[in-house]
Amino acid sequence: MTTLPYAFAEEGCYPTPEHRLLRDSVRAFTRSAVEPQAAEHDRKGTLNRKLFAACGELGLLGVTVPAEAGGAGMDATAAVIVHHELSKSDPGFTLAYLAHAMLFVNNFYWNASDDQRERYLPKALTGEWVGAMGMTEPDAGTDVLSMQTTATRDGGEYVLSGQKALITNAPDADVFLVYAKVEGRITTFVLDRDMRGLSTTGPVHKMGMRGSTLGEIVMDDVRVPAKNLVGREGQGVTHMMRNLEIERLTLAAMSLGIADRCLEIMLDYAAERRAFGKPLVDHGQIQRYIGESFAKTEAVRALVYAVARTVRHDTKNRIGSDAAKLFAAPVGKEVADAAMQVLGGWGYCEEYKVERLLRDAKLLEIGGGTLESHQKNITRDLFALAKG
Amino acid sequence: MKILVPLKRVADPDNANKIKIAPDGAKIDTTGLEWKPNPFDEYAVEAALRLTENGATPKVRGGEVVVVTFGPKEADTTLRQMLATGADRAVRVDTTDDALDGSLVARALKALVEREKPDLVLMGKQAVDGDSNQVGQILAELLGWPMATFAATLQEEAGALLVGREVDGGVITLRVKLPAVVTVDLRIVAPTSVYSLATARTHKYADGVRFSALPAIMAAKKKPLIEVPLAELSPDTSLRIAYSKFEPPPVRKAGVKVPDVAVLVDKLVNEAKVL
Repeated sequence: MTTLPYAFAEEGCYPTPEHRLLRDSVRAFTRSAVEPQAAEHDRKGTLNRKLFAACGELGLLGVTVPAEAGGAGMDATAAVIVHHELSKSDPGFTLAYLAHAMLFVNNFYWNASDDQRERYLPKALTGEWVGAMGMTEPDAGTDVLSMQTTATRDGGEYVLSGQKALITNAPDADVFLVYAKVEGRITTFVLDRDMRGLSTTGPVHKMGMRGSTLGEIVMDDVRVPAKNLVGREGQGVTHMMRNLEIERLTLAAMSLGIADRCLEIMLDYAAERRAFGKPLVDHGQIQRYIGESFAKTEAVRALVYAVARTVRHDTKNRIGSDAAKLFAAPVGKEVADAAMQVLGGWGYCEEYKVERLLRDAKLLEIGGGTLESHQKNITRDLFALAKG
Repeated sequence: MKILVPLKRVADPDNANKIKIAPDGAKIDTTGLEWKPNPFDEYAVEAALRLTENGATPKVRGGEVVVVTFGPKEADTTLRQMLATGADRAVRVDTTDDALDGSLVARALKALVEREKPDLVLMGKQAVDGDSNQVGQILAELLGWPMATFAATLQEEAGALLVGREVDGGVITLRVKLPAVVTVDLRIVAPTSVYSLATARTHKYADGVRFSALPAIMAAKKKPLIEVPLAELSPDTSLRIAYSKFEPPPVRKAGVKVPDVAVLVDKLVNEAKVL
């Protein structure tokens, strides 16, 4: 793996020497530990738990958790760097990482009590426990507020009933952050796998992102002690919204990683492969794929890293993170598709990796916010901001 | 054990083709080069960390590793990188890259060793840019310390080190009394190459140098990094080696295709004169 030049100064992405060290460290880890296992787990459709633990050892699982709570104490830019670098080799594994480190750990940390942090964080930060977040339901995706899962108070407990669908990590997870309605108000709970009445299905067979597993969380009158209520009743929507920006940004960073890798693969191939007496890079049609892929990738890089600097757990930039993901996801897919076109028949074969990256890239137009949800959010926010 | 690891930053060896030479051949043009720690020195830092821990719980430090480099302010980055992998302190000897040779570096290091009083100076066998392979040997001579070069294995004993050196036809094992100067070869970062007194002989390290963990990257910001002027360590900053001219290796000529074996043999006999 080589690194292609950026269209602008590196400082635009890496504001401090620590960000650069982080990039170098994750890049080296990706090259030596993530790359070699990616194809195998894609084929089998399994999560690499050992690699997950290695991420814990490296401190990646708590990238945004403050140091005093056992995390790395880094910012949204750092989270973007990690997802960007890991995705160059294995977007599927990176998605499992995202579901754990962003959807579970980051959300949980900022909203949980000290007692809850003490009970759940240590094992979540080492990777001994894998986390999942349950929001989507069989009949409620983008329209999240229409969720049906209920939580009913019963003495010192809540009784949870309902079903969460399309949940990344569900088949592997040990701990779950789940949204359920208490008297119609969305509320956050943290659940353990061994709670009676809780079960998961899957892994579901899927097109891409096969280094992570996907399934349902089924709650059949699960009795959850009140100490597992995160925050207060009715705060679920706030928790959800607070975490959305960093989720979208890191998903966009995954598309960037895919685009970077595919550009590199197509350039290498086009330099070596000859047709009609000259290398592919000398053919105008190929130059269009390469040139446009580079320009689009650089635009994603500039947007994603610029928005990353404006996002903190207590600072909102919804319109920026929506724009970043709306723009990045199709670019990841288009650059992967361009790479396959440049590689022709070889691109369609497993060996050159772009067929896997193309399958993975598609998910980012759907998961963590469909393109349509970003279009809706942006239009509404623009309207509200411009027209008051 | 207290270990001093001198390290040099070099132009990224993975991008060696980007190195340019000034038109007059007077020096290598360093603008735009990406700097990396010399790989052999990185291995020395890894070996030093292994010698100052027990293997099972690498976060518990059983000694001190001090890293030192020579260069301008930007060379701090190289030192911070090593602090992030686990080194305890750093010293930058302030100078410019082109005002150095092996002898001057060794003379300055001697003064630094007398200040720091380490039990061991551990360093790469050579830097991958100049490939001079001098500093360790000159330093040992100046200090009057025992020396072992090209170490492939290290095992700590009370007051000594067992050093395995790979040579033609086998391995030589030396016992060097501390303090000493040891230079390392690439196999020093294999899983079973280095054992401190506290590390179980059954312990196996991950192959290669360790990655910087994220919390350690943040903690490295707070670790001490001091700057020392070169002249303070070596008032005599004269060079023993003068570089007269740099030139890139000649461009390889294109090969020829021969129609059949007869022509090939003819060319080998009459043109190449190898048969």
